[in-house]
Amino acid sequence: MADNEDLYVHVGKLTRQLHDALRELGYDTKLENAVGSLPDARNRLSYISRLTGQAAEKVLNGVDQTKNELERLTAGAAEMSAALRADPVAAVASGRVMGFLDEVGASTARADAQLTEIMLAQDFHDLTGQVIRKVVALAQSLESQLIQLLIASSPPEAVPASVRAPEPAPAAAKLDGPAVMTAGRTDVVTDQAQVDDLLESLGF
Amino acid sequence: MSTENMRFLIVDDFSTMRRIIRNILKEIGYANADEAEDGQAALQKLRSSEFDFVVSDINMPNMNGFELLQTIRADEALKGLPVLMVTAEARKEDIVIAAQSGASGYIVKPFTKATLEEKVQKILLKLGK
Repeated sequence: MADNEDLYVHVGKLTRQLHDALRELGYDTKLENAVGSLPDARNRLSYISRLTGQAAEKVLNGVDQTKNELERLTAGAAEMSAALRADPVAAVASGRVMGFLDEVGASTARADAQLTEIMLAQDFHDLTGQVIRKVVALAQSLESQLIQLLIASSPPEAVPASVRAPEPAPAAAKLDGPAVMTAGRTDVVTDQAQVDDLLESLGF
Repeated sequence: MSTENMRFLIVDDFSTMRRIIRNILKEIGYANADEAEDGQAALQKLRSSEFDFVVSDINMPNMNGFELLQTIRADEALKGLPVLMVTAEARKEDIVIAAQSGASGYIVKPFTKATLEEKVQKILLKLGK
């Protein structure tokens, strides 16, 4: 029993010494900063998930609508073909041919608009790409700080060579990138109308 | 020169975004466009060939959009070029910096075809084209 108590006291002392040493070297603050960056990474990952989901929905909706247009056109063309074979004069005279040609024009314009929407939905690659770069930088910074902590708190022979040279964390980008969390923030705009209002207030 | 023949330079580090902007410009009547992946590449193209309009991102490696804009405005041969910023930077201070640095317009991503068309037309109208 007495041996166990001695052991606990000894472990307690070592823990205190390690804590003091880490604090003196400034690692406690570094670790706090590293942990503090995790909610930011979490928000960014949620943003990526949300944006990719929205883009996929937009694309699938656009494809559905375009397919409907094509189905209508295919059915209309078959119908028109049958009418022209049966009685070409009547098909033209009744205005069915012209009516169908007008419908082709309107339908392809709608399909074209949907294709533009599908193309625009690919902007998620740019927006999430910028955010992914920031998450990678955060992960790199966290890794670097944890490795430094490991090195500082271990005897040199206990640290494997592979963890002896931490990658320097990249300097934080001056630019913010996409506004990942906008709720409660007054320093960012959330849409184009706010950009236009701000520029107008500046006399632009 | 008619506005349809105007030559656009699209500057963005994401090739997908360059392609989107290029396609929309084509849809709204401006089919003559070239691309650059950052400010440095854009400057090289601007100095070696004639362009009438620059559409630029801000957050890019090597030379960002602000640096490109400021370099264009300080260059005697290029300073009159319209420069429309199309960017994800949503901080008000960045919009103010862009305006003070001489941006002709500012579009925040994600944007619509209508927004790009409206801003391009507005800038051309101001230039009397």
